[in-house]
Amino acid sequence: MGLRLKILSGFLVLSLMLIVAGIWSIYHFHFIGESVQKLIDNNYQSITATNTMINALEREDSAVLLLLLGKWENGRSLLEKADSVFNQGFRLAEKNQTLAEEADLINNIKSNYQQYKKLWQLPIVGTSKENNLDWYFDGIHQAFLDTKASVNDLNLLHENELYRTSIELRNRANRATMPGIVAIITALIFTLMFSYLINYFMVNPIIRVINGITLFLKTGEPFNVRVRTKDEISKLVSSVQYLCSNKSEKPDK
Amino acid sequence: MRLHVIFRYDGLILLLNGAFLTISACISMFGSDSALFPLAYAAIISLLFGIFPLIFIPATYDISNKEGLVIVISSWLLSCLIGMLPYILWGGDFTVTNAWFESVSGYTTTGSTILQNVEALPRGLLFWRASTHWIGGMGIIVFVLAVLPNMGMAGMMLYRSEVSHHTMDKFRFKTKRAAQILISVYFGLTLLETIILAFSGMSVFDAITHSFATIATGGFSTKNASIAYYNSAVIDWVIIVFMVISGIHFGLLYAVFTKSIRRILQSSVVKYYLLALLIGVIVTTISNYGTQYSSWLTSLRFSAFQVISVGTSTGFATADTNPWPSLTHILIIFFTLQCACAGSTSGGIKTDRIILFWKTVVKKVRQFLHPKAIIPVSIDKSNIDPNVLELSVLYISIYLMVVFITTILLTAMGVDSTTAFTGSAATMGNVGPGLGLVGTVHNFSQIPAAGKWLLTLNMFLGRLEIFSVIIFLSPETWQKLR
Repeated sequence: MGLRLKILSGFLVLSLMLIVAGIWSIYHFHFIGESVQKLIDNNYQSITATNTMINALEREDSAVLLLLLGKWENGRSLLEKADSVFNQGFRLAEKNQTLAEEADLINNIKSNYQQYKKLWQLPIVGTSKENNLDWYFDGIHQAFLDTKASVNDLNLLHENELYRTSIELRNRANRATMPGIVAIITALIFTLMFSYLINYFMVNPIIRVINGITLFLKTGEPFNVRVRTKDEISKLVSSVQYLCSNKSEKPDK
Repeated sequence: MRLHVIFRYDGLILLLNGAFLTISACISMFGSDSALFPLAYAAIISLLFGIFPLIFIPATYDISNKEGLVIVISSWLLSCLIGMLPYILWGGDFTVTNAWFESVSGYTTTGSTILQNVEALPRGLLFWRASTHWIGGMGIIVFVLAVLPNMGMAGMMLYRSEVSHHTMDKFRFKTKRAAQILISVYFGLTLLETIILAFSGMSVFDAITHSFATIATGGFSTKNASIAYYNSAVIDWVIIVFMVISGIHFGLLYAVFTKSIRRILQSSVVKYYLLALLIGVIVTTISNYGTQYSSWLTSLRFSAFQVISVGTSTGFATADTNPWPSLTHILIIFFTLQCACAGSTSGGIKTDRIILFWKTVVKKVRQFLHPKAIIPVSIDKSNIDPNVLELSVLYISIYLMVVFITTILLTAMGVDSTTAFTGSAATMGNVGPGLGLVGTVHNFSQIPAAGKWLLTLNMFLGRLEIFSVIIFLSPETWQKLR
């Protein structure tokens, strides 16, 4: 094989190693980008929605306590606002269903909340319920806890999914960076080997040819350089040998 | 020493690894699993590094002893390096240390793993894991010698560097022929076991991977519970038979097919090997009966499997040996140190050396009684060179010394003494599981990172039989590097 092809093959090997690793890293980084977007779209939004619902539920619970104390105006106004916030969060969660188990949990929240709402929608102030702690703990507070628990279930589902995807992302990040690291190390090793081979099979024979010619010109010692490769250098050696032998045979020229 | 000659021969080894990586990548591709790129990229690197020296460096057949030795050792190191690439690239539990441990454990046919959940690995990677056993079992160089055209002196030099003295002793063939015999027996046994296991109820994939691991006396399984997963007496007994066969010198096995079975039975090494296993199985069965197993047959099945698995340095498991009686633990430790015959794929001190050791002891005792007598030592009617006797005793001494030093170092790292001793003996003997935290139903994930590196050194020392590593590391080997 000729020198040009040998050198070219060396560079081709080097480039191939880097290109394949590069393409693979790009693919994984692209996938990571997509996964992060999915994470935000699918899980993060639902977690935000559940947090909104939990906050709204707690405010509704406080409002019920205000009604129990007979503060009708403050209580009702707080309830209306909290209900609106809860519905906002619920609509967001309902619209953003991405997991298989999610539908059941959403229905559960819906039915629990409807039961809870039914209890606080009826008049409290001025009825037997006012200042009635037994009614609060046995009835409405229990409904509040059930609703909160169903919202928490949805939150937990998304948090687990978030955790699972994060681990997947960590693995993907590892798969994206590792080929790069491997490519750099192997390219470095290959470069050292390539440089050694160029030195041993190309540079050294050329130096020996130069030294042989110099010796021949200075002392007339026959040009006797041997190369083991069958490439342009071996042809160069044969040409120089031929030249030197011609020159020895016809010294006057 | 000529570096380019080493590059060229190492290139051939990388091509062999590249071929197996390509097969694994194809399995991954057909199964659409996540190991396709890691395997394909490792295959590309291996093939490119393998082909390039062949393009650049002209063929050289006159290689020296030192060069042969360096080619063999460097080919093991390179194979392990290439072998860890798919693991690192795949990720999961595989840190650099874990990937190196798994790769070295595979090639040296140790079979110790750091994986807590083997079944989580994709099929392509599981096949690669089993392939490392199969490539390493026969010896990387032997594979190359059997496949390549006649390499003349170079082949002989490589063969002498790769195969131990005890192994060569049984062959009267030329290098290439000897390598071909070894490979034929190896391939034939693997094929036969695969077919029998497939008919015994294993899936074809599991049958192939477990056959790779059995014939190479490796021990990597595709299941977390190892062979216990199948809970089949038929599979247990099939594997037991093939483990015993794999522990016999392959040259003798070849003779069975070409001449007669008498040759095997006439060999005192084989007789001792089989007798030792038989006694081990009987004693373990008796010890376990009543305490661990309620029926004699069950006790025999599980005891035989574990004793033979350790005694042939395979390392498969069908039972947790930790709760077994102390006497069985002592037997397991003995078999972990001894293992099977030279010329097989097993590790350990080897039965040949144990026989030579006892013959040397007897000779020395007789020498004390008759100081002027010339007392020859012979095995199977052939006299043994005193140098071989000396080397065998020296080998056993260094072997035990390495095990004890590793035990001390592991203990210093916080590993308990049982785990440290049996772990170091099991890795040095290329057995796989030990006792304690590295028992048959456990793995090496709990060992500290430094300990894992130390144990991989043990695996190399055990597989390459210590002396070649010492010569490889001596500065004299690396003088006049060009």
